[in-house]
Amino acid sequence: MKFLVYLFLATALVLILNPFIPFWGVMIGLGVLALLLKPGGAAAFFGGGFGMGIAWMGLAFYLTAETGSSLPDKMAQLFGLGNGTLLLLATGFLGFLLGSFSSWSGQLLRNVFKRKPENIYMG
Amino acid sequence: MKTFSFILVLLITVVLGNVVSIPMGPAPPVAPLLDPNHGFWQNMYSEDQLAEENIQLEGLSAPVKVAYDENLIPHIFAENEEDLYRVQGYVTAQHRLWQMEFQTMAAAGRISEIVGPVALELDRMTRRKGLAYGAELGYEFVKETNPEMLELLEAYADGVNQYIESLNDARLPVEYKILNYRPENWSSFKSLLLLKYMSDMLVGDRDLEFSNLRKILGEQKLDVLFPEFPEENDPVIEAERIWDFEPVSVVPPLENSYPNDELVIDPLPQPEEGVGSNNWAVSGSKTKSGNPILANDPHLSLNLPSLWYSMQLSTPEHRVKGATLPGALGVISGFNEHIAWGVTNATKDARDWYKITFEDDSRKSYRYGEEWREANHRIEEIKVKGQDSFFDTVVYTHYGPVVYDHSFRSDRQDVNFALKWTAHMGSNEQLTFIKLNKAQNHADYNEALNHYTAPAQNFVFASVSGDIAMRIQGKFPVKWKGQGKFFMDGADPQMEWQAFIPNEHNPSTLNPDRGFVSSANQHPVDPSYPYYVFDNSYEHYRNRRLNNRLREMNSITIDQMKELQFDDYYLHAAEALPVMLDLLGNQELDDKASTYLAELESWDYYADPNQKAPTLFYIWWSKTFNQVWGEWRSWAVPVVLPNNYQTVKLMANTPSSEFFNYEGTEKVETARDHVRAGFMEMVEAMREWEEQEGDYTWANYKRTSIQHLVPQFRPFSVENVYTGGGRGILNATSERHGASWRMVVELGNPIQAFGIYPGGQSGNPGSKFYANFISKWANGDYLNFNLRSEDQEENLLFQTTFTN
Repeated sequence: MKFLVYLFLATALVLILNPFIPFWGVMIGLGVLALLLKPGGAAAFFGGGFGMGIAWMGLAFYLTAETGSSLPDKMAQLFGLGNGTLLLLATGFLGFLLGSFSSWSGQLLRNVFKRKPENIYMG
Repeated sequence: MKTFSFILVLLITVVLGNVVSIPMGPAPPVAPLLDPNHGFWQNMYSEDQLAEENIQLEGLSAPVKVAYDENLIPHIFAENEEDLYRVQGYVTAQHRLWQMEFQTMAAAGRISEIVGPVALELDRMTRRKGLAYGAELGYEFVKETNPEMLELLEAYADGVNQYIESLNDARLPVEYKILNYRPENWSSFKSLLLLKYMSDMLVGDRDLEFSNLRKILGEQKLDVLFPEFPEENDPVIEAERIWDFEPVSVVPPLENSYPNDELVIDPLPQPEEGVGSNNWAVSGSKTKSGNPILANDPHLSLNLPSLWYSMQLSTPEHRVKGATLPGALGVISGFNEHIAWGVTNATKDARDWYKITFEDDSRKSYRYGEEWREANHRIEEIKVKGQDSFFDTVVYTHYGPVVYDHSFRSDRQDVNFALKWTAHMGSNEQLTFIKLNKAQNHADYNEALNHYTAPAQNFVFASVSGDIAMRIQGKFPVKWKGQGKFFMDGADPQMEWQAFIPNEHNPSTLNPDRGFVSSANQHPVDPSYPYYVFDNSYEHYRNRRLNNRLREMNSITIDQMKELQFDDYYLHAAEALPVMLDLLGNQELDDKASTYLAELESWDYYADPNQKAPTLFYIWWSKTFNQVWGEWRSWAVPVVLPNNYQTVKLMANTPSSEFFNYEGTEKVETARDHVRAGFMEMVEAMREWEEQEGDYTWANYKRTSIQHLVPQFRPFSVENVYTGGGRGILNATSERHGASWRMVVELGNPIQAFGIYPGGQSGNPGSKFYANFISKWANGDYLNFNLRSEDQEENLLFQTTFTN
């Protein structure tokens, strides 16, 4: 549950912030989000990763559908990637990589500051 | 442990973020490119999807309305010229920013800045030819002679710059994203530079090659193979024209003392064969409607984004429409409510070379007559992407820059040649176009042309009032016979250009009896013209086909003029093939060869896209031509070969001429041997083609392609366009060159106009307006180019109002 909430918030953050700031700003944003929400290691990694990945791939897919442009195919050929669909997947994968590690970094920073539970059994 | 894992993951994140934001070899930073909010995905929008109703533009004195028709052609309605050109700059940049900047970078010799050391040789050459130097002189000239023009240039530049400032990452043209750089500011200097770039594209010379030939063959043989006028001269200005002026005279040197070096220098690149144009106008007496009709199709390298950008520019005083050059003000080839005009290249050996004798290795002074003259040294800093700047010293003499020297294109220490070129003389071509845009009659047209220096053009003219005219305009030196055909001795003051032909002596004609005027890059005049005229690149086929058709046509319609622009008749083949078939004679041939021969024999000489014979003829001719002049290639110095026309003449009239004999063989070769060898080679080449490619119809063999300005960006090019025509054909569409703009205008009331170019209004490869005209162009179809009024509603894509 916590994962789904975090995934939703991470996706929303990328969608809202990214139009105004470059990708590295979004990476910082995701780090801060994890720092504040402490979703847990796995949730931070996959939530942030899929959040940014879905946001990027979704937007790229939406733009392709909206414009009907052949540019993705042309770009894919230019960079030797075959076709536009692969480029769409590459965009999603890159979003995943950037989102996951940024978000995980935030979670781990939170862990550093989390007060260590003292030896609760031994008192 | 927790700290450690945090630092480790943070490190990975930072490295990752860094790796995706720096270029990888030639590849651009991957994250900014793929980020769908800012990267290339944003370039998928077409212009109508980004339409804005209002745009704020500082410096306007009144609101300016821009109406885009269904083809994304902007129609600008401004209250005055300054507003008009400010918005022209803005709108052009909206659609063509990357292209206009890239072309001026090329003209300034700054491509290495963008693409790295691969372009260094190209940039050095551009600098050594002094294009930017010419534009600097042009800028000074405009500033001194016509400050009002400078204000308009500044307004245009300001429009471009306000667009650049408004650009966010998402809207940045995709080429900047791929090549990873950003636009810099535009300036009036760059507009002038662009016009110099056109000069460079259109002007060539063969002085080096002729100097070598003169030494090898001697002047007598040279005159046989390269006569100054062809047998069937059909010049731009009708041969009947009487020249009723006293020519300016010059003094020829006492004795011709050309430097007698055999020059093994890598020559400068020449304008491609096939770069040329057609234009003509027929008078009302020859048209069905009684109105004059004017047509123009400049043939240039076929590129995307297209060289041309269509526009209508209007103020309360004038409305003009046609093809503009992104970066230059006004319309270059077009029409207004009163007149229409068009241009074709009118080269006339505008570049000459002088051998320079320096006093010593410091090259600070050079011999001129009895004295030593001081030379200027201009240090060119060429910035190179990813490397230190390259510094090149170019020595300037009073003739012009020393292009060839020990550091460039020559191994010899003592080789120094300076380039004299009209493009290096202050001039204001921009003013000619601004005045033509507003011209109302023949007198206005003539006045506008007086400001035009280079590259020389044949300006065709027609008016609603019924006049048709042609004038060859440029700044032409008065030359003594033979001057500038070969490299000259710069130390001998007798070799100087002594005077220029006055504008009123430039060849021109108004309403000639034959009822039409025309030009197709052929000889400008008949030998009776009192000034010396020489150029190696004059056309021999398109002009005759065009004039023959115009002479026999009557009651002409606008559709017939469109058809004539798209005419595929291959006159060179019609003249050469019968001679070749005759020389080939009856041969024992295998099945394949007999089939080819039968196809050739039954051909109607039209190079239509679905014909097979044009391919066979084209290959047979090139193989034969190579056979005929094969021995010349073994000389290992640059020479120019006789043209197709003279070669056919020689084959037809004197098949046993000494020129057909190879001196190195015992046998005495004649034209017949070369034609037969050429045929066998053709059969062999065709066999291979059929095995590998199959279909050899003309369009499939020719493979016309319209290439992106960066040839490596192949997916942005349009390849294998199905269309006919070829070199020397009115529809001059060859592999990489052809009609870069076609326009036909009937000057009635109202004016009817049609135009098309192989490209689209948008420079963005992601837009649906990027290449949408190409299929129409390839079919010989046109777009409606009628003038629009401000309140016209039909066929509108969208409208934008610019306010201060």
